Amino acid sequence: MSPVRNRMLSAILFLVLAHSGLMTAAVQAVAGEDGPIRFDELVRPLFEKHCMECHGPSKQISGLRLDIRESPLRGGDFGEPAIVPGKSGESPLYTYIKEQDHANAMPPRKDGRRPLNDAEVEILRRWIDEGAVWGDASATVDLGKLDHWSFQPLQRTFEADSIDGFLTKKRTEAGLAAAPLAEPHQIARRLYFNLHGLPPTPSQVEEFTKDWKEDPDRAVAIAVDRLLAAPQYGERWARHWLDVVRFAESDGFEMNHPRPSAWHYRDYVIESWNEDEPFDAFIRSQIAGDRFGVDRATGFLVGGPWDRVKSPDPVLTANQRADELHDMVSVTGTAFLGLTIGCARCHSHKFDPISQVDYYRVKACLSGVQHGERELKPADHAERETQAIALRKELGIIDANLQQLHPIASLERVGTASPPRGARAAVSHRENVDRFRPIAARYLRFEISATSGGEPCIDELEIVSSANANVARDAKVTSSGDFPNNPFHRLNHINDGLYGNSHSWISNSAGKGQLDFDLGMPIEIQRVHWSRDRTPEPQYADRVITEYSISVSLDGENWTTVANHSDRLPRNAAAGDVPNSNSGLTDEEIVKATEWRGRKKSIEQELQKLVGYPRAYVGMMGKPESVARFSRGDPTQPREAVAPGSVSALGGFELGLDSSDQDRRVALAEWIAAPDNPLTARVLVNRLWHYHFGVGIVDTPSDFGAGGGRPSHPELLDWLAVRLIENRWSIKSIQRLICNSQAYRQASLGLPEGLIARGNQVDSSNRLLWHFPARRLEAEPLRDTILAMSGKLSLQAGGPGFDLFEPNSNYVRVYESKTKFGDGDFRRMVYQNKPRVELDQLFGAFDCPDAGQIQPRRNVSTTPLQALNLLNSQFILDQSKWFAERLRREGGSTSRDQVRAAFLTAFSRPPEAIEWEVSDAFIQSQGLDEFCRAIFNTNEFIMVY
Amino acid sequence: MRNQFQRNKSLSPTGSLFLDRRLFLGCGATGLGSIALASMLGDQSLLQRVRGNGPPIRPEIDPSKPYASRSPHFAPKAKRILLIFVSGAISHVDTFDYKPELVKNHDKPMPDSSGLITFQGEQGNLIEPRWKFRPRGESGKMTSDLLPRIGELADDICFIHSMTAKSNTHGPAENQMATGFTLDGFPSIGAWVSYALGSECQDLPAFVAIPDPRGIPQIGARQWSSGFLPAAFQGTPFNSDRPIPNLVPPAEIPREKDIATREFLRRLNQFQIDRNPQDEALAARIASYELAAKMQLAAASLNDLSDETDETLALYGADDTKNTNKARFAKNCILARRLLERDVRFVQLFNGSYAMGEGVGNWDGHKVIEQQYAIHGPILDQPVAGLVTDLKRRGLLDDTLIAFVTEFGRMPTFQKGASGRDHNPSGFTVWLAGAGVKRGYSYGATDPFGYKAIENVATIYDLHATILHLLGLNHEQLSFYHNGIERRLTDVHGHVLSELLS
Repeated sequence: MSPVRNRMLSAILFLVLAHSGLMTAAVQAVAGEDGPIRFDELVRPLFEKHCMECHGPSKQISGLRLDIRESPLRGGDFGEPAIVPGKSGESPLYTYIKEQDHANAMPPRKDGRRPLNDAEVEILRRWIDEGAVWGDASATVDLGKLDHWSFQPLQRTFEADSIDGFLTKKRTEAGLAAAPLAEPHQIARRLYFNLHGLPPTPSQVEEFTKDWKEDPDRAVAIAVDRLLAAPQYGERWARHWLDVVRFAESDGFEMNHPRPSAWHYRDYVIESWNEDEPFDAFIRSQIAGDRFGVDRATGFLVGGPWDRVKSPDPVLTANQRADELHDMVSVTGTAFLGLTIGCARCHSHKFDPISQVDYYRVKACLSGVQHGERELKPADHAERETQAIALRKELGIIDANLQQLHPIASLERVGTASPPRGARAAVSHRENVDRFRPIAARYLRFEISATSGGEPCIDELEIVSSANANVARDAKVTSSGDFPNNPFHRLNHINDGLYGNSHSWISNSAGKGQLDFDLGMPIEIQRVHWSRDRTPEPQYADRVITEYSISVSLDGENWTTVANHSDRLPRNAAAGDVPNSNSGLTDEEIVKATEWRGRKKSIEQELQKLVGYPRAYVGMMGKPESVARFSRGDPTQPREAVAPGSVSALGGFELGLDSSDQDRRVALAEWIAAPDNPLTARVLVNRLWHYHFGVGIVDTPSDFGAGGGRPSHPELLDWLAVRLIENRWSIKSIQRLICNSQAYRQASLGLPEGLIARGNQVDSSNRLLWHFPARRLEAEPLRDTILAMSGKLSLQAGGPGFDLFEPNSNYVRVYESKTKFGDGDFRRMVYQNKPRVELDQLFGAFDCPDAGQIQPRRNVSTTPLQALNLLNSQFILDQSKWFAERLRREGGSTSRDQVRAAFLTAFSRPPEAIEWEVSDAFIQSQGLDEFCRAIFNTNEFIMVY
Repeated sequence: MRNQFQRNKSLSPTGSLFLDRRLFLGCGATGLGSIALASMLGDQSLLQRVRGNGPPIRPEIDPSKPYASRSPHFAPKAKRILLIFVSGAISHVDTFDYKPELVKNHDKPMPDSSGLITFQGEQGNLIEPRWKFRPRGESGKMTSDLLPRIGELADDICFIHSMTAKSNTHGPAENQMATGFTLDGFPSIGAWVSYALGSECQDLPAFVAIPDPRGIPQIGARQWSSGFLPAAFQGTPFNSDRPIPNLVPPAEIPREKDIATREFLRRLNQFQIDRNPQDEALAARIASYELAAKMQLAAASLNDLSDETDETLALYGADDTKNTNKARFAKNCILARRLLERDVRFVQLFNGSYAMGEGVGNWDGHKVIEQQYAIHGPILDQPVAGLVTDLKRRGLLDDTLIAFVTEFGRMPTFQKGASGRDHNPSGFTVWLAGAGVKRGYSYGATDPFGYKAIENVATIYDLHATILHLLGLNHEQLSFYHNGIERRLTDVHGHVLSELLS
């Protein structure tokens, strides 16, 4: 039955019903005595008549639409199902329609709408109670939700078979010709900046031009292959990806502490692009690299902000965790799928088929991930661990022996020799040991008279008896005063056997405090161990006690001092240079100690080689937290538990509530990287297009949903996506296609007037690519290029980065841009230790993203501060001088030669006569340094045509 | 040489004609759509695709003049704004929110508060204000002796006592007051305003941030960040101690040399225009260099206070030789006035610095609030009172809006075992003064102890919506497409607090 006819029939039927008074009978007549209510015949027409004007395809008030099955089953904006199959009494849709005095009675009494009549209400009741089964027609409509272009499977048959074929077709339809060819030096420049973010050298331009004159296709092909194979390619393109995933190397928020080991992820991205890692593997590595032996890739998950300020307030804590996971969910959605899943945190997505539950399904896939460092384990780490067992055992024995051989504290101040003879190690935030000759004591007093700053903090104090037992555990402890009202810092933490800041004691007075231990009875004791933060990776090195005295007593009145700070080296003395102190040991003990220390050192070296993996900020993976849907996104309003899964409308998977963290992430990655996922390949090739041509085929690279842009060339997009998958997800294979296209060789300037007139008329934004778009260099290639001009650029690849900010160790980090730089700072800017939400004073003004949010497409603004920075900063003046020196050295002896060399280096072309003349005259009067300063400020220098 | 250059210039379709905005916005037949324009407006054409509360109204931005004055959505009450940000969360119960019940119940437990855990932990007893409250002005508004001079201006002030914040930790809460969002990375209110309105002043940045002489606020540059808006709209930070960075070349370059270099640069760019008259991005860059040159002149005189009278210096307390932090902050206040006088659109003045640590250089009085505020009060009071007074007597208050804000309030209780107050986002005071707001008016109220806002509960979204409204902007229509969403300063919230409009 056709829908139209169906609807007409139903309408007639209801007219009859409404007036017949034989409702039940009529319903039965339609439905059959025992047969179920058929959705297509009775229910759907009723929805269309009463509801769909506001809850249908064109309008979805409260996010509810009744033309799609999932919508009422999931519920609208507030996530509560509107229909509970089998239970009309629990279905708000039924309640609102039936109870006309309800606050939410439907339809609303306005615009002449009338309530449903009893027969209609009865149809709904029966239909819901019978299980709310939707008919075939609804299954078709159900797809309407997914009608949006980007959710359709990739097209596989095409009307053209090359980039230029697709582009020419569209351009011709619009009555547009292609632009003429660009000059060879412009194409060379374009390729180098686009693929490397660095300018070509004059000889590279010359070589390209020579090849071009013989065979343009071959010249481009050779250059593209060479550029894609060089390490500078990965450095350039990794920076794009880092924009997309909001990567930075500090926490953000209030304290914004640096993450000194986060660079491993940056290096992973660079190397991955250089090696042309298949993009599907790139996805799997970043979401679940710990499964695939690529530990450092999961830096992706924790590349976002993290609030270091923690509080006992449970609501704040819950909000912080919700924000952390929100960041991971959002960036996973936008980076790989171009889906703003994050928008469904509080209510179902306004435009896209993502329910609020879907958000929590994806969140559950990531809920085992915590911010922090993890060891980067090699593939054979299990084997290595086995080998390490015996070594660790031996080490344990040696350590126990060495405990008896700590230097014995002397109460004498040590000499002035450097390092002082006999001095004990400086106090540390880690474990400190004070050993003394065994002495009987009932009371022990620890008096603090100075700290490294603030009130002193101790996370644990142990008193070791001659029988090697920690007798502090059972001691009664009193203090001179405790840090008020903070559950992290309590007096009973001093001997609770737990380490770390959150199990510590802090005095109530800056720089001083006193602890008194009553052991209950006299015990012979020999050592005191104490620390500020004895966790394996200490987070806290502040509030360290620097001056103290330990004394003991049997009666609580007569005290004997057994150790103090006076024979310790001053704090900050370079610990590595201090020989082990043997103070107070017998000759025999010294021999033993030396031997054991030697053996200990060699075992430690062996262990380091074997299992001493570097730690990196790539996330700590653990047991997944249970995830509940939060009503309106509010962590204080948890609703039903949600199992890990995909965005359900797009197919995919669901795992059990008890599935492991890694299984969840692997499943999520596999779903995203599946070749039949309609979004993944499209989103990637579009990003590539965006970075090659300035604007993507879809101009919203991280939003392929209904709120984002429409593709200017849908067929081309799919053609590229299919090629990507067929080429085993090789990114470089797509870039070869793009860079070798004719479109890529078009001029950006010097276009025929007729073309400009027509182009501005029909396609002023150049989406049809009737010329190549000129672009300004972004912040990073601009800095790199200035360094390349001056000859200062260091191509040192990988490893820890360099700083553009002055060092700072404040509790709340202060980021002060450096103005003086050394050679180590002249690496490519992708190697900057990039703090979050802090921009370099000079290059930050060039729309450099600050990683507070993702930046899939950079702004390009032009501001007077950019001009001031390029004109007046010390950086530019220094580089100008070095550029000038280089020109004198390499450019020739006369200023005319130097001008020529400068133009070839900076603009990839020789000067024209007038430029040559004016420049020469300027150098004569103002000098070569000033000439170079001007060159750095020219438009041609900063633009790529 | 020179003649040839001039001849070239006269022959080429360049110069002022080239910079004519019609060429940019009209997509003239001879020019290519400027990349700067295209990118600046980015995908803003997407507005057609997004349904919302009324279509977004896009500012018409000429990339060669990003700070050009632009039309508001409707006639504004205020032409410019001074936002005073008091960092660290100033205690409302010790300053502007008078609570007789708090005095009466001094040292008693707060009712229904057992087990209450706030940011740093458990609560002790209610503690009366550490400073006496007295009636001020003709309105008799009760304010405390901590800030007596600001109190004396009560007849000019519109207090909002029922402000609430979403977070009780400084970072996210400062983010929210500065950008509307607790998360990092969103544009600051100053960036939104300069994006929408540009500036009446063409030789200074549209948006200036004046950090406290003791250092920057807790979230640093995020207070004046442009987020995902074009960088042109980020705030330029400088104060009386630290001028605009790179404003002038280092001393090693004499002025004549500098002028010669810039002239040479102009000519090199001119040759390029002559060859490629279609290149409109170049025009925007030339304009930016011209604006930079003007800014050098205008900004250089900003911090030269030699033309201020002794009486003015004394009014602000800039002559206070005993309290140097106060004198330096006072100079920042004078700088703020000088910027407003020159029609800078958005001036953000900071009091308090976080770098010095909790409560030391800011209002975060957890431990010994009385001692700490005794230091901060005098630094803030006279300079800000002087600034408001000075703006008023110069007639600037008629079309300037002042907003005095902080990230959240403090508890009416002391923290257990301490002599200070913990964070309290449930109710606190901010105030407005000047163009378009009621004078001597108090809006909203907290409960009898000052813990929670209970009457006319207001949000930061409401405050932002109101500020935008006073500047002639509809907060629902001022938006920028970013990452799938029409982003607004007020997210999807906010109501103009119309009751306090004059």
